[in-house]
Amino acid sequence: MPSLQQRLDEYKKNFESGGPPFHVSPEAVATMHRATAELKASGIESRALKAGDRAPEFNLFNQDHAQVSSTELLRQGPLVISFFRGHW
Amino acid sequence: MELEALQGVESDVRAQGAQLVVITPELERYTRALHRKLNLTFDILTDLHLKTAERFGLVFELPDYLRDLYRSFGSTLDRFNDEPGYRLPMPARYVIDTSGTIRLAQVNADYTIRPEPSDTVKMLATLEKSNQ
Repeated sequence: MPSLQQRLDEYKKNFESGGPPFHVSPEAVATMHRATAELKASGIESRALKAGDRAPEFNLFNQDHAQVSSTELLRQGPLVISFFRGHW
Repeated sequence: MELEALQGVESDVRAQGAQLVVITPELERYTRALHRKLNLTFDILTDLHLKTAERFGLVFELPDYLRDLYRSFGSTLDRFNDEPGYRLPMPARYVIDTSGTIRLAQVNADYTIRPEPSDTVKMLATLEKSNQ
């Protein structure tokens, strides 16, 4: 089974070459590359929390509107958190 | 794609005595639909207005020219996230130990690059060993 990154790269190749379903223009691809390059250059990655830092606590609603607390989860064991920008 | 890949390692995460959650600015009505569609066994948590992502230092604002481009694609972030400011979190994966300390941080400003879930699980395994 291909890795996640291999699948993403495949998707990106099709997307950026103007393939279906988006048929994106080369100008649009250049705009997106510019935005990513600017964000990288802003140094934002180095300002994000890193290994050794204390994780902020959170209390958020899940998909079924149940409240989930990080303190509660950490009482049961280590926690893996993945931040996802959405499927829009 | 990332959520499906995470679902693929969910049982491995659980086998290490750990739990997996996804945090997103998307509103609950969208996360609910997505959760059902993909048959996920981990929670998707709604981080309304990116309050939690902010505390992890992950939030950025889309530049005007990118907003315009996304709008031209028909993408309406403000609707999905109730986020008129057009802000997003950088994709990031964290492993946190039971003392609340971050043990692994995988952050990339390039949203087309995502950490491999199997690598996260490997890290989790070393963490478990070092605690024994």
